Amino acid sequence: MRRGRGSAADDDAAVIESSRREPERFAVLFDRHAPHIYRYLARRADRQVADDLVAETFLAAFAKRDRYDLGHADARPWLYGIATNLVNQHRRDEVRQYRIRQAVPAEPEEPGHAERVAADVTAQAMRTLLTEALTALPASDRDVLLLIAWEQLTYQEVARALAIPVGTVQSRLHRARTKVRQILAGTDAGATYEELTTNE
Amino acid sequence: MNEMELLRELAQETPLPAPAELDAARARLAAAIATDPDPDAAAAAEVAPHQLFPSAGQPVGPLLPPAPAPVLTAGTFMRGGAITSAAYLIAALPFIDDVKGSVLGHRLTAGPLTITLVILAGLAVVALWLWMARATSQGQGWARTLCCVLFGLATLELVGTHGLALAAAVLTWLSGLAAVWLLWRPASRAFFKSAKEARSIAARSEVSRSEQTR
Repeated sequence: MRRGRGSAADDDAAVIESSRREPERFAVLFDRHAPHIYRYLARRADRQVADDLVAETFLAAFAKRDRYDLGHADARPWLYGIATNLVNQHRRDEVRQYRIRQAVPAEPEEPGHAERVAADVTAQAMRTLLTEALTALPASDRDVLLLIAWEQLTYQEVARALAIPVGTVQSRLHRARTKVRQILAGTDAGATYEELTTNE
Repeated sequence: MNEMELLRELAQETPLPAPAELDAARARLAAAIATDPDPDAAAAAEVAPHQLFPSAGQPVGPLLPPAPAPVLTAGTFMRGGAITSAAYLIAALPFIDDVKGSVLGHRLTAGPLTITLVILAGLAVVALWLWMARATSQGQGWARTLCCVLFGLATLELVGTHGLALAAAVLTWLSGLAAVWLLWRPASRAFFKSAKEARSIAARSEVSRSEQTR
């Protein structure tokens, strides 16, 4: 989701700065980032919760725009940080979403019956393990892991989003990855994971 | 494939939203922008959300969010209820002389007054369905509550009804059930909530405008 913008005049910081005088300019920021913030929230909670939280995210950002550090051209980490705080207030929705993912099989994509069945079984086993692992993580570690794995933020961006030092981001990510790896490898179904990792 | 790649694969299952899915959030932000306390924002108060968001798929009207699909479908069910009620009224007209029964202990006979009252009551039911469909599509919370109350009364009506009246009562009851269920879906709740916020913001703006003109 890296975006290359033409000029500094239309980067997020410039939009936020101008929105302090002309509030309607903030709509540009919504149009630019709301779909991705919504998808992040829908991944972590569900689409109904995301409907509400994406609005809350941008309302909070709009209310706090005067405090935005204009030295940061890209506002995504700021928005992801607000969204993460909000989703952490809906833990039960988040855990429920992971359980739904465990229960609902993904759409089969592979052609061919035998291959498709095998692929479905493998995918379903991995989904179950992954969602179990995510549920087992402490929220602070899960935030870091998902911002990096799902939203592809850099360490520095995650540090900004969560207002923590880069070193903390690295240690939380390491801890989260280790725990996920342990959960994936520590069950019978984890044999699939072992096969996948050894076939790399 | 390591755990990060597996996680990314899991994330692929959630696509980006369609523009219409962001309409309710867009409308709430537009309402906040329109009432921003910044003195320079005075002009923005006159700006409609669809002017703020030219990229939005459809205009959303002055400050009110667009009704989401469940509310629109609930409106369709309510209009269906109106049609069923009207059809029943028409079908029952030839037999209206047979009207008998009792209301609040008073014996009803098929006099002209009774017939007029029965027809008026039937028309009132049709009008009520249409009125509720319109009010809920405008995000009126009381209409949603009224819909639930009337659905409860319609449930009671099922008891002791026979023949054609029972068929009509069941059909309208099913329409009511579908409408009530749709009106309490999460997307509908968000819509009624944002419509209420937009209305209170508009009311506050109106008060401050009238105070300024004094």
